[in-house]
Parts: sequence; C-alpha cells; structure tokens
Amino acid sequence: MAVDNPPDGFLRIDFDRGSDPTFNSHIGTLYAKRGEKGTRDEFVMGFRVHKRMCNPAGGLHGGMMMSVADLVGTMGGGTQVGLRKFLPTVSMTFDFVAPAKLGDWVEGRAEVVRQTRSLLFTNISLTVGDERILRASQIAKIPSGDGLAFGKARLDRGAEMAAKGTPT
Amino acid sequence: MSCALQWRVSIPPGFRQLTEASGFAAANGPWFEKLEDGRAIRGFRPGPQHANALGIVHGGMLAAFLDSAMGTAVFHTLRRRAVTLRLSLDYLGPGRIGDWLQAEGEVMGHDEHVAQVRGRLYGPRHDVLAGLGAFALLSRQRPLQARS
Repeated sequence: MAVDNPPDGFLRIDFDRGSDPTFNSHIGTLYAKRGEKGTRDEFVMGFRVHKRMCNPAGGLHGGMMMSVADLVGTMGGGTQVGLRKFLPTVSMTFDFVAPAKLGDWVEGRAEVVRQTRSLLFTNISLTVGDERILRASQIAKIPSGDGLAFGKARLDRGAEMAAKGTPT
Repeated sequence: MSCALQWRVSIPPGFRQLTEASGFAAANGPWFEKLEDGRAIRGFRPGPQHANALGIVHGGMLAAFLDSAMGTAVFHTLRRRAVTLRLSLDYLGPGRIGDWLQAEGEVMGHDEHVAQVRGRLYGPRHDVLAGLGAFALLSRQRPLQARS
C-alpha cells in the first residue's frame, strides 16, 4: 500500500471499524483533523492522491472529488453545528475549478450557510496547498429523531497514540 | 485487493464492459455501456464496496457514474471529448446494492466551447439521481489530457 504521509494532526477515519469496507474505505484512505471550534479548520478532511483515484489522463478523478466533497459537507458541516447524525444528501452542485495530480495532498473544508429544522446548507472547498480545485454547495437532510451516528465512522485515535510513540 | 472485491455481475443484453477503464473508474467498476439508437446508456451493478453507512449506494459513487454517462453523451452526440466544468445533482431516491443501475445523458445545447447536458440515473423501480451539467469541449486534435 502506498504511503500517505498525512500532515501533522490528521488521523485516519475508521469508517467501518473492522467490518467489510464500504465506499468511504474503498476509495480512501481518508483522514480528518479537528481544529478549534468555530474556525474554518474545525473539521478538515484530507487524502493523498493515488493512481486508483485518477482519471485516464492521470489527474484526480472528478468522481473522487465529488465523493469527498459530499462527505466533507455532511461530516464537516454536521460537526460544526453539533449534529452527530448521518445526514443524507439532497442536492449538490460542483464546479471543477482546477485539476489535482498524483501525489498531491488534498484538503476539504465546509462552511455552514444555514441550518433549518430539517435541512443543512453548506459550501465546500477542496484545496491543494493554497489552490482551490473544487467549489461545491450542498443541501443535506437532517433526519428527525436520533438517526445513525455518522454510521460507524470514528477517528483512529490509536494511530495518534502510535505516532506519538511510547515513552522509553 | 481489487480481485477480492470483484462483484459477480449479471449483465442485461446489449451491454459491453468498458475495458479501457483505469484508475478511479476501474477501481469502482466494472461499468458497462450499450449503444441504442445512437445514444449511449451506461450500466453497473453496485456491490457492498459501493455502499454508504446506510447500506445504500454512496452519493459520490452515483455522482461519478452519472458524470461519466453525461460525458459519454457529449462524445456520442458531438464527437468531441469533454471535461466536466459544473455538475448539479438532485438525489431523488436510494440506489440499492445489487440492483442494475443505468445512467444516460442528453445534450441540450452547445457552442464551440461548452455543452449543456441533462442526465438521469435510474434503477429498476425508480429514478435515483437527476443531473444538469456544463462540459468544456476539448479541441478535436488534442489528445485526452485533462480531467474526464
């Protein structure tokens, strides 16, 4: 498996916790970093571009960008407004602003535009360094009741512990 | 890994597997295509690796698949390769794992540089995803080298 070398603070998102891989694990590995509440870095998703994420021309596939942007909207937007539920996507619009290439580290951030009782409106950006590669907007449904808590997704804190190393 | 995840698919008549797929399309396939009255219909049968936490097909997978069908529609209608500029999607109903899903696009208008395309993704029982997109037309001489 190719090496991802995520920047400091990024932890692997464990979507399936031991059961068979679903789409988010299948396309990944996807990482997330948690930052200060109320900042644009409160929830940042990241991934390294590998060949299996690319189009025939060798750039990052639009389908991969859309898949990650979808997740950034529901997980990142949901986190910012304190919703730990699975939010099904109702509608999304994507503008493919610039390409990304093999080996790039891509980050995704969400900005909550408005929350109603049943809907969450977000804007989403994917970036490589300072360059924006995708602009997206999303409307997600907020299910009534408790719903599913992000499915099984958790940040892999074990990796964080391992990275810090055990004291000698 | 990809071998273990291969999903045995039964394919409706007339569809051929897109064997030229690479990268993302290959990793998330196999995808199929049928030509009917000059229009291209794409099909695939989602497996467990295409599911989200609710056990239905992931919205990103549906988006990627419809995008490909809409891009193909541009090629079959205008004989020009195209890359997606903008895609707007409405999720109408769940895509079920194991169902045969189909997607097709229709070119609504175009000039020398951009084509406007309407797309539809549907299962055996209902519509799953509706799309509207703008596709940048690549020059006829230029080999495929941008995002597709």
